[in-house]
Amino acid sequence: VAFFFFQQQTTNTVEEPLDLIRLSLDERIYVKMRNDRELRGRLHAYDQHLNMILGDVEETVTTIEIDEETYEEIYKSTKRNIPMLFVRGDGVVLVAPPLRVG
Amino acid sequence: MEVSHSVKERTIAENSLVILLQGLHSHVTTVDLRDESTATGRVTNVDAFMNVRLAEVTYTDRQGTVSHLDELFVTGRNVRYVHIPDEVDIRATIERQLQAIHRVRYFGGRDKGRKEFPRTKHK
Repeated sequence: VAFFFFQQQTTNTVEEPLDLIRLSLDERIYVKMRNDRELRGRLHAYDQHLNMILGDVEETVTTIEIDEETYEEIYKSTKRNIPMLFVRGDGVVLVAPPLRVG
Repeated sequence: MEVSHSVKERTIAENSLVILLQGLHSHVTTVDLRDESTATGRVTNVDAFMNVRLAEVTYTDRQGTVSHLDELFVTGRNVRYVHIPDEVDIRATIERQLQAIHRVRYFGGRDKGRKEFPRTKHK
């Protein structure tokens, strides 16, 4: 379900950076957030603050643990799935098409 | 429908996705806070700044300790996520909220009552 929440929309061309996000409506996107979080989900709606509604979301939280003896950095990630999520815009760092793995 | 009594808040809400959250009134939802704690409860109010009031709340703090609160107020800035319940139809909810605002705005008819915004001036 694609829903573009922006009543003032009068143009179909890309004029400003937010218009690039409009191109991704109803597509799966990758969102990098603050605090080492990433979201992958289907973009249903967004606004000028980058508040977003994402469907079928997978959230990845990455933490770094330091090994006590070897002092090496161990990257751990925790994932969880949420069917429909409202994301507050001030946590969003970047929005992109989903990354291709490998 | 629960529409804010403030013109400023109505305008802010009408132009952002907060309006969806306002439509979640009386739904049981989970709010993930910025500090990694979570609060699950019935939404009693959401204002234009995303401040959220919940009732009958199960609050899980950062350490995982669960507690129960009759009411909880979360500042908008401290919201990270809001889980939208499965039963909510997003498009319908937003349209309903917008209609409620329009009903309040045009109360009394087009040419009666206090106008919220001036009509376009003709040159």
